[in-house]
This record gives sequence, C-alpha cells and structure tokens, in this order.
Amino acid sequence: MRRLATFILTLAFGLALAQPQHGGVLRVGMQTDPVGLDPHLTNATATKNMLENTYDTLVMFNASLEIVPGLAASWEASQDLLQWTFRVRDATFHDGAPVTAYDVKYSIERIKDPATASPRSGDFAVVERIDVLDDHTVVFTLSEPFTPLLSFLAMSMNVIVPQHVVEEHGDLQHVVVGSGPFRFVEYIPQTRLVLERFDDYWGRDADGGALPYLDGITFAFYPDPTARTTAILTGNVDWIEYVPAVDVLTLQADPSVEVVGGLAANYRSLMFNAAVEPFDDYRVRQAFAYAIDKQQVVDLALFGTGGVVATGTTIPAGNFYAIESSPFEVRDLEQARTLLTEAGYPDGFEFDLYITSTYDFLRDPAEIIQANLAEIGVTANIVLEDWSIYLPTFYARDYAATILGFSGQTDPDAFLHTPFFSTSGGNWFNFADDQLDELLSAGRREPDPEVRRDIYLEAQERILELSPMVFLFHSAQYSAQRPEVEGYEHFPNTSYLGFRTTWLQR
Amino acid sequence: MFTFLLRRFLLTIPALFGVAVVVFLLMRAIPGDVVTQLVGFGEDISAERMAELRRIFGIDLPIHVQFGQWLGAALQGDLGTSLRTGRSIAGDLALRFPATFQLSLMSLAIALTLALPIGMIAARYRGRWPDYLGSAFVLIGLSVPGFFLGILLILLFSLRLGWLPPAGFVPFAEDPLESMRRMILPALSLGLILAAATTRIMRSAMLEVLDRDYVRTARAKGLSERRVTLTHALRNALIPVVTVVGLQFGSLLGGTVIIEQVFSIPGIGRFALEGINLRDYPVVQGAVLVISAAFVFVNLFVDVLYALIDPRVRYG
Repeated sequence: MRRLATFILTLAFGLALAQPQHGGVLRVGMQTDPVGLDPHLTNATATKNMLENTYDTLVMFNASLEIVPGLAASWEASQDLLQWTFRVRDATFHDGAPVTAYDVKYSIERIKDPATASPRSGDFAVVERIDVLDDHTVVFTLSEPFTPLLSFLAMSMNVIVPQHVVEEHGDLQHVVVGSGPFRFVEYIPQTRLVLERFDDYWGRDADGGALPYLDGITFAFYPDPTARTTAILTGNVDWIEYVPAVDVLTLQADPSVEVVGGLAANYRSLMFNAAVEPFDDYRVRQAFAYAIDKQQVVDLALFGTGGVVATGTTIPAGNFYAIESSPFEVRDLEQARTLLTEAGYPDGFEFDLYITSTYDFLRDPAEIIQANLAEIGVTANIVLEDWSIYLPTFYARDYAATILGFSGQTDPDAFLHTPFFSTSGGNWFNFADDQLDELLSAGRREPDPEVRRDIYLEAQERILELSPMVFLFHSAQYSAQRPEVEGYEHFPNTSYLGFRTTWLQR
Repeated sequence: MFTFLLRRFLLTIPALFGVAVVVFLLMRAIPGDVVTQLVGFGEDISAERMAELRRIFGIDLPIHVQFGQWLGAALQGDLGTSLRTGRSIAGDLALRFPATFQLSLMSLAIALTLALPIGMIAARYRGRWPDYLGSAFVLIGLSVPGFFLGILLILLFSLRLGWLPPAGFVPFAEDPLESMRRMILPALSLGLILAAATTRIMRSAMLEVLDRDYVRTARAKGLSERRVTLTHALRNALIPVVTVVGLQFGSLLGGTVIIEQVFSIPGIGRFALEGINLRDYPVVQGAVLVISAAFVFVNLFVDVLYALIDPRVRYG
C-alpha cells in the first residue's frame, strides 16, 4: 500500500515537474577564461559564451539558426535592399536605463570605428549610415545590397551596449551592462564568473511566462579535460562544455550524466596553398580529394564521435544551403592516379604537410592522410609546430598544404565568400577564380532564399571542381549535463543562448 | 650581515634588468603578435586594417622605444594593463601570486614532512629494507610526471573515493579551510615529486655526515643514537638539503603551469603562459619580472638560512 502511494506520488511529481521550474543556480564548468569582458573588443568564444546571455543583439538566431527577433521586434528592408528599418522593442538595461535606437546606432558604429580596435569592424563595412528616426526606430543605409547583414547583427558578440555606460567607463572591460536575461555579478580570473537573474528581462517563454528560469549561473574554469569530466561525474558542476570526443561514449553510458550536442557549424579541411607548386594545378588537388579516405579520418582520428564526414564543401549536410553530392564521396585511387599523371606527376611527388601539434583533431588526421597519399605515390612529410608558431606562419601563407578549420559560420556567405572570394581577408590560400567570385557576389545581393540557394549550389559545384581544399569533416561539439538540468538547447553555432531557457528540476 | 644583504639586494637589480631585456627580445622573436591573436583565424580582415590595429596597440614603434616606454613606467611601479583584457597587470599579479605562494608552501610542507624522515631513516638503516623502500619511493617519485600523478590523484580521490573536489580554486582570504582543502591534491602532486628529490639529497648528506669524526666522538662519549642523529648529524646534513630545497621552492614560485592547468589554479605560471599565447607583451613582462624577483629573493633567503644552520658561515 505504502509502495503504491509512493509510486503515485512520484508519478504526480513527475507530471508536475515537466513544467519549467523557476529557481536554482546552474554551475557551469568552462574550458577557459574570457579574454576580456568587452564583447566588441574580442573574438574569443569564451567571452561570447559567458556574456551572450547578459547582452542582446538586434536580431537573434534560434537553435535551428533561423533569424528571429531580438531587441528589434520587427524589421523590413527596402525593395533595393539598401535601407533596413528596425523597430526597437521596450527593453531595459541592467542599470535601469531604457534601450533606445540611439544605443543601437552607437553600438554598431562603435564596432565599425577603427579607434575601437574591434576585430569585427569589417562586419559592417557596407553600412554607410545609421539614422535614428525616433527612440524606437533605426534605419541602416547600406552602400550595396548585402543579405548577410542580419547574420552579422545576430552574431552574439555584435551586441547592443548602453552608450552612457561606455562613455562613462571608456570601454566595457570592467563593467557589464546589457539587457539580457542575466546580469553580471563578478569575475575573478581563473576562479569564477558569476551571473544572476535580471528581473526586468523582456523575453518570454512559449507560454508567455517570465524568463529566465534560473536564479543565476556560476561559471568555473577547468582547462584540463579529465578534471572537467570528473567535475560533472562527481556533481561539482551541473553542466560542462567541450566533452572530449574520446570521453563521449563513456559519459553516454553513465546514468548520472546526459551528453548533449552534436554537429556544430564549422569545417575542417586539407588546405592547399594555390601559389605553391604542384598545388597550383587543380588536377593535383582533385587527385588528393579522390585519394583521401574521409571516413577513416573520422573513425580513427576522431574516435567516430568527434565529427561527421564532409559530404559537400564547407557547409555541413542538413544546412539549407549545403550541396548534397560530391564527386569525392567514394574513394577512387584509379581516378587519383590518372589525374596525377595528367598533371605531370605519374610517379607522385613529395611535399611538406604543415600541421599544428596543439589540437589533436587537426594533428591526428595527418597520419591517415599521409598513409592514404602513399597509395598514389605521394610522400607527405608531416611538419609539426606548436599553435603559437603555426598560426602566424599560416597567416604568412608560408605553407604548401595544411590541415585547419574555421568555425561559427551562420550564413552561407561566411562559409563560402570568406575563404574562397579572391580578395577576401579570410582567403589564406592564394586561391582565385573569376567565375566563383561572380557567383559569390551574386549571392550577397540576392534576398530570396530559394534563388540564393541556387546561386550557392552552383558556387559549390565550381568549388568542388577546383578543389581548393579537400573537405574532410565537420567537428561535433558536445556538452554534458546532470539529469536535473532541463530545457537546454544545443545551438550549432557554438552559442550558449540555450541557458536562457534552461531550468533545474528539484 | 647587513652589508652582505645590501650588496646582494643591489645585485638583484642588474639581474632583473637582464631578465627583462631577454624576455622582451624573446617575445618579439616568436612569430605573431597581439593583433594576429586578437583577430583570430577565419576573419575577413585586410592587411591595412591589421596595420592600423598594430598602431593602436603601439606595437608598430621601434623595439627600443617600446622597451623604453615599458621600463620607464615599470620603474615608477606601473606594470601597465593587459592589451587583451584591459585589466591592471599589477592587480592581476596580486591576485595570482598568493595562489602560487600557497600552493608552493603546501607542496614544500608535504615534501619536507616526507623527505626528512624518510631520508634520515634510509641513511640510518643503510643497505637494509627501510633503505630499499626509501629508494623505491625516490625512483617512482622522480619518474612520474607531475601532470600524470595529478590526473591519477583526481581519479582516485575525486572520482573513486569522492573525498575531494577534482579541481577548482577558492581564494584563501575568502574561506581558508575550503581553500586549503582544494589545494591538497595539487600540493600532493607537486609535493610527492619534490619529496622524492629531497629524500635522495637528505639520505646522501646524512650518510656523509654519519661517517664524520665528530659523530664517532659523539657516539664514543655515550650519547644515544637518537641524540647523535638528531642533534649532531641532522644539523650538518641540512646544508645541502637547504640549497636544493631553496632552488626548488624558487622554481615553484615561478608557477607550475601544468599542475595549475590540471587543477585550475589561478597561478602565476598560467598567467604568464596565457600572456605568451595571446602575445600580450606587458603581461609576460610583468609576470616574468615577478617570477624572477621571487627566485632571486628565495636564494637570498637561503643564504641567510646557511648562517643560521651553520655557525661557521659568517657574512661580513
């Protein structure tokens, strides 16, 4: 009888608990400290992840990477796509001041201003003028049609900051005043960063209830992966970021932890310096694409869990703009040898494969690629260098071929234009093709998603034909949480906006 | 004694200056600078824009001008602010040095508590089983890398036994007991290894002393073995031990990057390392200045200790 009562009680509680509960502080285990607190002054993912819930952007991404309203309740673009009008909602900064159209204008101009020294000043290069019509209306005037504007505005480091606070303090490195669901309490380097609930947050949940559910978030730092996974297993924290690929299966098997996550927006490729012989010949690059066994790279170097094989180009499969088929899907050594012979290397050649020793997911694929290439007579000499040496050397384009990746893209423009447009600052590959340039420019001007998609599919076909990279895989990103953590959504763009709807079951 | 201290103190000035110059040059010899690390990779940014950022950070100036600026400010006690976080470097050092100091002291305490008795017993029972046991301890301690020991300790004491948290730091001023508790595992990782090295020195120093004439005399006049070892032999055996422990303690104060990393302690070593990775020049300069100053002063302190232990040592 007593047992039955317990059972019914448990059941009743279970049903009640399915509703989000307010209260509780989420203890989060982070990998690293923020690099400065001013989101406009850094590109550090750690700064973004800890502060993106204290600030707001004009528009936002949801977990499916669709643009949804942020501080702008609505917006519209003129016919010629040159004038974008945003309607700023009633929102309050953490110091009680209202968010106005002037703050929006000030924030974007602050990022653009060279004197601010923002690494993303280029994001708004096409924004010619920003005009405030009234406290709640702001108009962006562009120098040319630029569809990716919304994606840049949604990037959660291009946040809206209060003009009066920046002017008072000079910058936002020591003070955090946003309009997001959590307000900043304190930061002690390599010890903790503390946020607490902001009661006047404008956001509402699906039922119109107040957000956020949590009373606060406390971030602690665990740079060592073993210490981090142990911290969640022992219940010292409720949620951790960056579960190492090698630990994913172990943690999945543990009932005291849930592993969340999966595919993240990024790509990892074998990249060629198109100015260096023999990689100036697209046939050699194609031969590599045919010869490399991508599945083997994922299975062996990433333990099968660390990533997903790239089936198209830089855009992961499942993305609206991704090309779904590639001639390199099936390994074809015969074709690879034919291409090498056509290019004038029937007996193969030798080259330096420049690799960083710092990141295992960039280092370990090298040995598999080396073995794959040996089968077509090509000798890859692996040259390992620490990240701090590697990256500047890469920037100087002082390499023949390398394995590297880029992350956090949300717009097809970032996936394709940034690396492959001939004069783009993100083209570190000396790669240039007029036909592709034309397509990529057309994509920037096209507002209709369907038409835009066709343009980008054509562009990707051209990219596969020229093979400036061998597209290897897309990294997966996993976080882990205690079973009592509910409502957290995984965002594929390395964003922790999911904390806005997270709650604790107690 | 006073003139000696004064002379030694004055000698630290050229030493610190030399270190500052070398670090300044080395930091600029490694590829990349704060701008390349700021922009990160994959960013669509032009070369002109990069040059402009360099101007804003003041790293486009000739190198001797940059050094002069830094030195001028440092001489007035201003170590500047981090190029990346905008935080005061002196302030951050004041935050981190106590953590490193606490870790170093606890490690040293663990090391000495283990090493002195083990070394003495091993020497006393030379060639018998306590000696072999001591040698095994030394061998293992010297062979195990600190980070590996650290991870093993985490797996044993946190995951398996659940006695201690795996990592994380609480400032001493905030909660002394919890702070000490969280420092136990990292202090053990460092202390056990330091203990192994010290045990070896202690044993051999003790052996040497036990063969001396005055020890034989002490025994001959009928003193107990305990008295002979503790009063007559130990004090003389301590001199080489103090030298080695002093040097070790000095390098502990320089921060132990790997242990600080594994146990997430906001120590000075990680501060310097992050500065290096971000090419945050003033951070590295400031951190190294403090690290080398700590090293120099520990050595000075060891010299003073000699005089206390060994009456023959007199500084004029």
